[in-house]
Amino acid sequence: MAPRRTTLLALTTGITLLATAGCSSSFGDGGDTEQKTGGKQELTVLIGTSGEAETAAVRAAASAYEEESGNTVDVQVASDLNQQLGQAFAGNNPPDVFYVETHQFANYASGGSLYPYGEHITDVEDFSATLRQSFTYDDQLVCVPKDTSSLGLVINDDLWEQAGLTPDDYPATWDDLRRVAGELTDGSVTGLVTSSEYQRLGAFMRQAGGWITDPAQTTMTADSPENLQALEFVQGMLQEGTWKFATEVDAGWAGEAFGKGTAAMTIEGSWLAGALETDFPGIDYTVLPLPEGPAGPGTLAFTNCWGVAQQSAHRDAAVELVDFLTRPDQQIAMGNAFGAVPSRESAAADYLAEHPGTEAWGASGDGVQGPVTVGGFDRVVGQFNTDLESLRTADPARILADLQSYGEAALGAGN
Amino acid sequence: MTPTTPVEPDTRAPRPPRTTRRPRRARAAERPVLGRTRLPWRIAGYTLIIALASLYVLPFVIQLATSFKTDPDAAANPLALWPGTPTAAAYQRLFGIAESHETVPFLRWLGNSALVTVLVTAGRVLFDSMAGYALARLRFPGRRLLFVLLLAVMAVPGVVLLIPKFLVLSTFGMFDTYAGMVIPLLVDAAGIFIMKQFFESVPREVEEAARIDGAGVFRIYWSVVLPMARPALITLTILSFQGSWNEFTHFLVSTQSAEYETLTTGLARFVAGGLGSGTQYPLKLAAAALSTIPVAILFFCFQRYFIRGANAGSVKE
Amino acid sequence: MHKPALRGRQGPWGWLFVSPSVLVLGLFLALPIVMALWVSLLDWNGQSNPFTGGQATFVGLDNYRGLLTEDGLDRTLFATSLRNNAYYVLLFVPLSTGLGLTLAMIVNQRMLRGRSLLRTTFYFPSVTSTIAVSTIFLFLFQGSGAVNSLLSWIGVKGPNWFADPRGIVWVTLGNLGLADPNHPSGFLTDHGFMGLSWFEWLSGPSVAMSTMILLATWTTSGTFMLIFLAALQDIPRELEEAAALDGVNRRQLLRHVTLPALRPVLFLVLTLALIGSWQVFDMVYVMGQGAPGNTTLTPAFMSYQSAFKNADYGQGAAIAFILFAIVLACTGAQRWLLRERNPRQGRRR
Repeated sequence: MAPRRTTLLALTTGITLLATAGCSSSFGDGGDTEQKTGGKQELTVLIGTSGEAETAAVRAAASAYEEESGNTVDVQVASDLNQQLGQAFAGNNPPDVFYVETHQFANYASGGSLYPYGEHITDVEDFSATLRQSFTYDDQLVCVPKDTSSLGLVINDDLWEQAGLTPDDYPATWDDLRRVAGELTDGSVTGLVTSSEYQRLGAFMRQAGGWITDPAQTTMTADSPENLQALEFVQGMLQEGTWKFATEVDAGWAGEAFGKGTAAMTIEGSWLAGALETDFPGIDYTVLPLPEGPAGPGTLAFTNCWGVAQQSAHRDAAVELVDFLTRPDQQIAMGNAFGAVPSRESAAADYLAEHPGTEAWGASGDGVQGPVTVGGFDRVVGQFNTDLESLRTADPARILADLQSYGEAALGAGN
Repeated sequence: MTPTTPVEPDTRAPRPPRTTRRPRRARAAERPVLGRTRLPWRIAGYTLIIALASLYVLPFVIQLATSFKTDPDAAANPLALWPGTPTAAAYQRLFGIAESHETVPFLRWLGNSALVTVLVTAGRVLFDSMAGYALARLRFPGRRLLFVLLLAVMAVPGVVLLIPKFLVLSTFGMFDTYAGMVIPLLVDAAGIFIMKQFFESVPREVEEAARIDGAGVFRIYWSVVLPMARPALITLTILSFQGSWNEFTHFLVSTQSAEYETLTTGLARFVAGGLGSGTQYPLKLAAAALSTIPVAILFFCFQRYFIRGANAGSVKE
Repeated sequence: MHKPALRGRQGPWGWLFVSPSVLVLGLFLALPIVMALWVSLLDWNGQSNPFTGGQATFVGLDNYRGLLTEDGLDRTLFATSLRNNAYYVLLFVPLSTGLGLTLAMIVNQRMLRGRSLLRTTFYFPSVTSTIAVSTIFLFLFQGSGAVNSLLSWIGVKGPNWFADPRGIVWVTLGNLGLADPNHPSGFLTDHGFMGLSWFEWLSGPSVAMSTMILLATWTTSGTFMLIFLAALQDIPRELEEAAALDGVNRRQLLRHVTLPALRPVLFLVLTLALIGSWQVFDMVYVMGQGAPGNTTLTPAFMSYQSAFKNADYGQGAAIAFILFAIVLACTGAQRWLLRERNPRQGRRR
């Protein structure tokens, strides 16, 4: 066989292959996605759910919308929302409507993946100003918050009584917390079980007067003495064994440990209510505000927004769906189903009035801290969470110093 | 990542399976080369072997037992080989019979896995054998180079291709479609290799005879060569079936929507998905058990082909 | 032997027969590599198409630099993943090869009853999907799971396997009272390489990673057993009988007859294990996704995560290529060793 001819042939084949590939790239050339209008529209919704209660509630709301509009809605549950969304954006096949977490918002918004629809939403001023601020990019309200919830200290009433404690013992300070956790810890019961993320432990940093960044999110303040004090307090309780992380007690998350009765107290948001109702209906519990630290009260508030994809072919219908889902009556229905506190101020007031005892989950005002929302910060936070897993034995100052330096690098790149 | 993928496959034509009945004259060879060991040693040996074997069996037994337990029972008695209060709740949920609770879309996973596996297996058997035959028997320009390229392609580790495959699929608009799941798997280099080696070991005379009778190339391939290749084709079928049924990474990067989830991606997401799903081990283990059954049946029926398949990787040059 | 006329007619048929394979392998194996090489030189967030002039910027070797030379989170994570995988290789390769060989020798005992049942038993885990068996192991190795219940029978309090980020080297030294793993200090913590202190480099695989190594060994040893078994059965019986006549004992027979005959296959199995262990992905996805404490993070998983979770496709592709280089180096080393060691063992098969 003539080697030269073979080589030539191979080269030609290769070039042909490449050319085929180059020519057939089938998207992105025209710029904007063509919109399908009129007739029945098929919408896909991707949610990162807190549990079956939430899934069921979103499905119920979606089918109510189907009846009203004649469109169809397919609600899918992501097991890893950020990964699946990222893959969907890059694959040019995003769902029409989806949850957007606060720390991913900046990434998606700056990448042009989100369709800014804020102005099309009915009575948009009703959403609380701080929440709206979290989802504003380039002075445009990009998406509206789905609901909100802040962290509360949740107590198992039976275990509380068994330990000989009364409502007078409800912890108001760090020292109180430490004491009651010690009294509640007994055999297979651990006083306090939480997840190890900064999304829980961060509340103590706030109570000590610290936080990861300054309020404008332009400077890192991670390695402050206040933060150190907070982590050392947590570490102390971990070492006493009165506070454990969920993985240490064989639970997928803290709510499961609480439901099974291996945790007497936990720190979670309102989604716990829905999860307990579905999985552990018999349990009696009380929701308290988190104890105050050296610098007063502090808690963390969370929210997601309903994102609409820029690449969606049904943007109008998608916005219509979001408008439906964020109506006050729908928000209250969701709250009833799985405990989410409405993000509309009017609906929130109604909801909290209807559900006495859950005020701690609807906290607002001073001491309420939202998560860090700088673009590119999720990796930094991920590493921080990883470090916190071993807080019991690790050096808190070292953890904070690492957070400080990684965060500074991310802030530098982001701005 | 079990390296069941053959790397440098078997060259030979079918040989009598080693494992099933031996010819009578082989009886003599049953005798050990060295004499029997002493009894106490033999007892100790058997005990050790049984202990070792139970390490390989027990996990599956515990899996089955746990899938019939209730959640609290599974948590409290993880070692119990018999459920305290046997319940088929997990299976009922998987098949959508139970009323309460959101069900796991198990039937959809099963359907997708079956569809993809059938298509991929059919494609591999056809295309691999065609290419293997051409490389072994037909003279055409570029053949040798193609073979070298094939060897090069076989050396590319699968995980390196995760992002690259995704890029190609999304560029072609095949991301999140059945086409994107199936087409890239339709051909595998190792399978071509196995078939090429096999065809080279088949005597040429039969083909020559058919050629003299005036049969065309395709006729010869289809009616003469393929029927002779039955053992190799069965091995290839089984390797492809097992490979595509257990495939995970390709489906992970080629799809995103729940409607395309297979048993592997669905189960993996279900098991790995943290918050809210709780532990639910009976349910997870039941799903894992059910997803193992087809391969297990295949394994117990066609064991010797599995063994030959595994050994396809064993022989060099 | 072949008439030119015949060859001429076969040409088009040959290409026709290989065309489906060439097309699929070209489009989904060769082309992707070229595209990914380009992407690894870009800063691309995955929200536009870099092949039609989207928002991606060409950054040259920055992605590689960030992983290998620039101090920062990326490099620390990458170094961690390399460490984890290196320990995985260090344990998995000898364990699975040794166990595979042992099982093959057991099953090859001519006087053993139930050999074929045993062989089935040992091989079965290898045909099941990694996802399914990982699920089983997650259950068995829970903090209050089956394995720890077993251990408690003999008075051992097992660790919380999948939640334990401690390196086994320091755990062992700590138990022996030779070091304090919880409060490391001195030279090892103050100095390091690629943003990871020597203390962390030397920690060994974490308890969680060790569990994965166990799982991998368990599922792979069956395959290796079959490969060894085929080779064992190919050893000429005359050779063993001749040795027996010379009056060798069992150990001598193993050492001077069996093992030398197995050498080529031994190298093959070692290579399979080596290449396979740089590709750990499925298990990591199900069992930890890097947790606890990044000790189950592997380069393969980090590549996936960088791209699909953190939307940094350039970095993901760069990691994939570094991994590719590592695997190629391993394969190359194996080829070289085989050529050196094995010139006269012309096994005709």
